[in-house]
Amino acid sequence: MNRSRVVASTIAVIATVVTLFPVYWMVLSAFKPPGEIQSLEVRPWTLHPTLDHFRRVLGGENFARYFLNSLAVALTVVVLSAVVAFLAAVAVTRFRFRFRTTVLIMFLIAQMVPVEALTIPLFFLVRDLGAVVPAVGLNTLGSLVLVHLAFSLPFAIWMMRGFVAAVPEALEEAATIDGASRAVVLWRVMFPLVAPGLVATSVFSFITAWNDFIFARTFIISAKDHQTLPAALLVFFKPDENDWGGIMAASTLMTVPVLVFFVAVQRRLVAGLGGSVKD
Amino acid sequence: MKMLNRAIAGAALLALAACAPSTAPSASGGDDKSGTLRVWLFDEPNRAPKEKVVGEAIKEFTAANPGVTVEVSYIPTTPARHEKFKGAFNDPASAPDVAEYGNTDLAEYAAAGGFADLNEDLRAWPEGRDIGTDLLRSATVDGKVYGLPWYIGIRALYYRTDVFGELKLKPPTSLKELTSTARTIREKRPDLYGVAVGGEYTFGALPFVWSFGGDLEKLDGAGSREGVKAYTDLLADDNCPPQACAGLTGGRTVELFAGGKAAMGILGNFNRSAVDAGPAAGKYAVVPLPGAEPGSIAPAFAGGNNLGVMKSSRHRSLAVKFLELLGGKTYQTKMYEAMGNLPTLTSAREELAAKEAFLKPFLDTVAAGTRFVPVDPAWVKIDNQKVIPTMLQKVATKQATVEQATTEAAAAVKAAFGGS
Amino acid sequence: MTTLTTAPAGPSTRAGTPPRRRGGPRPWLYLLPSAAVLVPLLGYPVYMLGLLSVFDYRQAQVSGGEPTRFIGLANYAALAGDGRFWSVLGQTVAFAAALVVATLAVGAALAVVLTRAARVPRLLLSLAAMAAWAAPAVTGSTVWMFLFDADLGLVNQVLGLDGFNWFYDKWVAFGIVGATVVWHSFPFVMVTLYAGIQAIPASVLEAAALDGASAWHAFWRVMVPMLRPLITIVVIQSIIWDFKIFTQVYVMTSGGGIAGQNTVLNVYAYQTAFGSSEYGLGSAIGVVMTLILLAVTLLYLRALYRGGEKL
Repeated sequence: MNRSRVVASTIAVIATVVTLFPVYWMVLSAFKPPGEIQSLEVRPWTLHPTLDHFRRVLGGENFARYFLNSLAVALTVVVLSAVVAFLAAVAVTRFRFRFRTTVLIMFLIAQMVPVEALTIPLFFLVRDLGAVVPAVGLNTLGSLVLVHLAFSLPFAIWMMRGFVAAVPEALEEAATIDGASRAVVLWRVMFPLVAPGLVATSVFSFITAWNDFIFARTFIISAKDHQTLPAALLVFFKPDENDWGGIMAASTLMTVPVLVFFVAVQRRLVAGLGGSVKD
Repeated sequence: MKMLNRAIAGAALLALAACAPSTAPSASGGDDKSGTLRVWLFDEPNRAPKEKVVGEAIKEFTAANPGVTVEVSYIPTTPARHEKFKGAFNDPASAPDVAEYGNTDLAEYAAAGGFADLNEDLRAWPEGRDIGTDLLRSATVDGKVYGLPWYIGIRALYYRTDVFGELKLKPPTSLKELTSTARTIREKRPDLYGVAVGGEYTFGALPFVWSFGGDLEKLDGAGSREGVKAYTDLLADDNCPPQACAGLTGGRTVELFAGGKAAMGILGNFNRSAVDAGPAAGKYAVVPLPGAEPGSIAPAFAGGNNLGVMKSSRHRSLAVKFLELLGGKTYQTKMYEAMGNLPTLTSAREELAAKEAFLKPFLDTVAAGTRFVPVDPAWVKIDNQKVIPTMLQKVATKQATVEQATTEAAAAVKAAFGGS
Repeated sequence: MTTLTTAPAGPSTRAGTPPRRRGGPRPWLYLLPSAAVLVPLLGYPVYMLGLLSVFDYRQAQVSGGEPTRFIGLANYAALAGDGRFWSVLGQTVAFAAALVVATLAVGAALAVVLTRAARVPRLLLSLAAMAAWAAPAVTGSTVWMFLFDADLGLVNQVLGLDGFNWFYDKWVAFGIVGATVVWHSFPFVMVTLYAGIQAIPASVLEAAALDGASAWHAFWRVMVPMLRPLITIVVIQSIIWDFKIFTQVYVMTSGGGIAGQNTVLNVYAYQTAFGSSEYGLGSAIGVVMTLILLAVTLLYLRALYRGGEKL
């Protein structure tokens, strides 16, 4: 037992180093002066950290604005998809109705369509939608919220299913007997109980929305104030000019918020993902 | 069977209902004399100098046109630009009035019907007559001029004077000499590549093809094959090993030369600052890329960017005015000083040539005649399908002979032209 | 579309514990918000995708320069006759299969390691996994590419392979891209399975240990069966994600590698649709991809049903 713990711990540490290394390298390169990046003697540390790359990435652009835009879109998507997915998950786990399995399979199929192929139809849809509801037309953050919601929902529902199923039905029945209305049972009893599951699924919704390049650059054509972070950082990802310092600084800026989000929900994430086998 | 029925039913449906949402509303512009003029320019990794010059132009423009504001967006040049422009064509409400675009993208944008014909405007503009016909062609499709060539980029042969001095070599005067010189260097200085070439460097390879009398439209012709052979012969262990060079883009070959790893390189006038920032600084000179015939100059590709007015612009005459200001001699010269962009106006170029010895080989190349890719949407397809790089790489990696690879590429080119 | 709706109807009657309540209109009420989002924003575009695939639809048609033309199955016929499509399809399936296996193996192995490791290494590994998980695909790919850069990359410096190009050989390039994909996706598998193992009652594992089962044996005979619902999710998700792999390949091999040797289906579809503005043909590839994924997933689900799983 003791030996297996030592072996396991050793493997865990090695895996940690291997996994973390690219992230470390990214941050390190973002702080290295250009001379050291170009140097043919690569060192895994730097004695002359510099903020030059960050200044260049942030320079001139309305970076704070893009950052807030991205954050606003991602968080709205997280909240909306949590609520909507929760309701749908309750429907497919707690009720028996015609086409239940069909609906479930539909949610699964919805994830299989290659997102890239849908940009063209979606573009026209959003454009025409904007004529009716200006808040979600082209060049708005609303349009981004809508499509990311659509792309994160199927998976969110699919995952929430397990969590809702894990809540003992006896609890609901007890609440109902106590005279609680359906709405109260749903929002006051069930909803808090599936919180860990909600966290786990929200991680995915957040990533979907946060990492998106495609829709951000397809829908936000001319509204400079509605640009999101990835689209603004795109200029540094040039295949031809290897401005590694700039690329790494831009990457670091994109990764850190997600990382913070992950670490913040880490414990609940693990608890949540395990939830679906407890029954 | 059912599938087919559905498809046909769907076809009818699309014709009725979905056809409308899938096409752009007709872009009818206007001619407001006030308001906001939206301008799209390409973003640059180091944008500040460009922004400064553009800022001066805007100041001058708004002073002359009270009640007008100019809003500039810097858009990325990565493939994202295609989506931006297509978005602008498909949703005129989002479109800018004036836009900078790469001249190789022109054909596709013209086919999409996004830009306005400026033929009359440029003819009425005194400075407009100063643009060479070669260059104006890179903005022309079917007799319509969809923009003002703003600046060009010309490539020539950079070489290391210290290495050439040490090995007692002379700059090559023919492509054959280029090959032998490159091999000599590689043999005597194995730490260097003779001439940096890349399998993805389309605009480095095309001058070879053109110089042997070949052309894109007949890649399986004898001249083209000679050109492809001459170029891919350089992608070999005795010059630039395929393991290292087959995957290189033009930008990476610039890095190789600038980083002091190659004795020669086919670089543009716009690469000067990159070279000056590296170990090759102060140890290089430039000559025109020699052609197949001794003493000749290989036809160079006239890459560059144009300024165009969108068809949907609601400020047509203001947009033209701004374009003529930014694309005029004063600001072309300022853009050269800021970014190293070579002016398209002959007089501006001549004045610079008198001042700047560095520009001579590039201007000699222009004078010897430049070539351009076919102004046809097919080119965009050929470019995106990587027809030329695939051809070069297959030969360099010995997956195919020159004959096989050129035959295959010629078929792809033919298909691209036939399909559009 | 007909196949999609009829296929799953059969086995549902065998589902393990179907929900007890008959809710009348209530479940539909709960499904309404999802439907309101998904039908117009996903259903309709998918329908359009299917439609576009039977049309001659290029940029000229998009901008209204030329009329859209119904061409039936010509796009599909063009694909079927395109040798490159088949070779890309073949290597996509092989690459995706390898990725699924590798991701599951690494993820499952590390999940077991997590349950046995001491507290601090466990915490470190979960945090590292979070970091890999959090890294956006574009940035992750770029960093890996930088590490394996021929001249400035750390790997070549350490191994003393000056100028060695990792992306020259087709299989080596696939290997590096594959490693990046696994790096991005193993955390999901690891964390999910770890959480699942944690939820297994300790008594069950102890009983197995008392029976003298080896760790290996306990894993396959006790843990795997108990984790099956989770494994199902993980496998299906991995298949879906890996078959649609795009960013890592696109970024790291600059759009398909030397002479296009590393092209996968999604990259091919993207280049066809956007690069060449052949939206009709690109849509057809998208439809084919969806159908293949569907077939694979349904086969997998059916195999599970046979084994008595519920959905």
